[in-house]
Amino acid sequence: MNIGILDYNACNISSIYYSIYRLGYDPKIIKNSNELNDIDRLIIPGVGAAKSCIDHLNQTGLFNEIQEFLATQKPILGICMGFQIFATKLYEHGLSKGIGLIEGEIVPFKKPNLFNIGWQDVEINKKSEIFKDIKNNNSFYFCHSHYLKFNNKKDEEESVGTIKFGTLVPSLIIKKNFMGMQFHPEKSQKNGLNLIKYFLNWSPQ
Amino acid sequence: MSYLRIIPSLLISNGKLVKGINFKNFKNAGSPVTTVTALDSQKADEIFIVDIDCYNKKKLEPDFKLLKKIAENNTPITFGGGIKDMIMAKKAFSSGADKIFLNSIIFNDEKIIEKIAFQYGNQAIVAGMNIINKNGKYFIMEDSSNTIDPIEYAKKLQKLGAGELKIIFVNLEGTKKGIDINYSKEINNNVKIPCIFEGGIGNLDQLDLFFSSGLISIGLGSLITFSDYNIVKIKHHLINKNFNVRV
Repeated sequence: MNIGILDYNACNISSIYYSIYRLGYDPKIIKNSNELNDIDRLIIPGVGAAKSCIDHLNQTGLFNEIQEFLATQKPILGICMGFQIFATKLYEHGLSKGIGLIEGEIVPFKKPNLFNIGWQDVEINKKSEIFKDIKNNNSFYFCHSHYLKFNNKKDEEESVGTIKFGTLVPSLIIKKNFMGMQFHPEKSQKNGLNLIKYFLNWSPQ
Repeated sequence: MSYLRIIPSLLISNGKLVKGINFKNFKNAGSPVTTVTALDSQKADEIFIVDIDCYNKKKLEPDFKLLKKIAENNTPITFGGGIKDMIMAKKAFSSGADKIFLNSIIFNDEKIIEKIAFQYGNQAIVAGMNIINKNGKYFIMEDSSNTIDPIEYAKKLQKLGAGELKIIFVNLEGTKKGIDINYSKEINNNVKIPCIFEGGIGNLDQLDLFFSSGLISIGLGSLITFSDYNIVKIKHHLINKNFNVRV
């Protein structure tokens, strides 16, 4: 299985790389267009600001390639910024247009704090298998200033996991062949590794 | 609800872990890679690493190679010590930092925060404040004119785009005398970004007092580096006192 990690110029990719490496795979770092063809599973990590990330993806042609990859039904994991780019619109450092798989906008926190930095328990909304290997708690590491706000309340069902931070924050989304995590599984010690493992074995419906 | 954050704060020099008192008299405290691996398995909530060699002008940039080795684990890392431009910020992120720590450079170049944040996001910038208490009056260490009020400076750092503040009480640092809770609260209440406080925690009772005051993030130096305490012991103590910590 070929696992690709997208390096779009704004990422800390070493943790995700070594997490997967330690699980017994040899992931490939994708930096340019035309490198996604032989990839079976794509991971889009994220420490970044929306506008510069999306500008970079557009300039390199990777934006279109992610859309094409999404259409192939192969699994994609988006982490933090790599998750947020799948919304329709993003407002961080200026307006940008996202991939649009998720009907929602990425908007800034106003309270209780401008940033959600730290560990939180993710509440599981659906009977999902995804947390079955996680024993003690569902705590994961978050580090973000913007969050996903669904356009329609009914779409909240797409959210498998949520947290509360002044408002309801969708934190884990599964839609078609896309799995999105607002938290950082690669920075969430054992719990995070279990989720990465889950993604690597995941067969989307 | 967010968990309280217990953040080991490590200093490195010449590839080694070091610890001093009041920013002086640094002693070798072992291997950073081994220590970070241990802290990762003990479930430290984050790890703060600062290379002090740039401050002492021994080097022009912090030890990114060492960062690369450290960052192979799965605990969030903030890295700093002499990062002063976009090129170094980029090196830090590509070597595995989740956040970078900026301190004295902000005095010379206020716009650096937004410059870096435009690419990496504001959440990735931790701005530092070294606070000195002179006879009950508070100053910023880097401010040689002694005219800047630290509270106003904290607000300014928030406005400049910092995602988080790291406040160090220089007089208390390494002394184990306890942290300045009242002033920590005053800073915390004046900003809407997370604040990590550090300097003076030398035993578990002092830690109880800190968290009882409602503050939620602590940086620990001496308590971790030169003592019999470790993260597991500290967290179990806090759980027994009914604090919301992650184990």
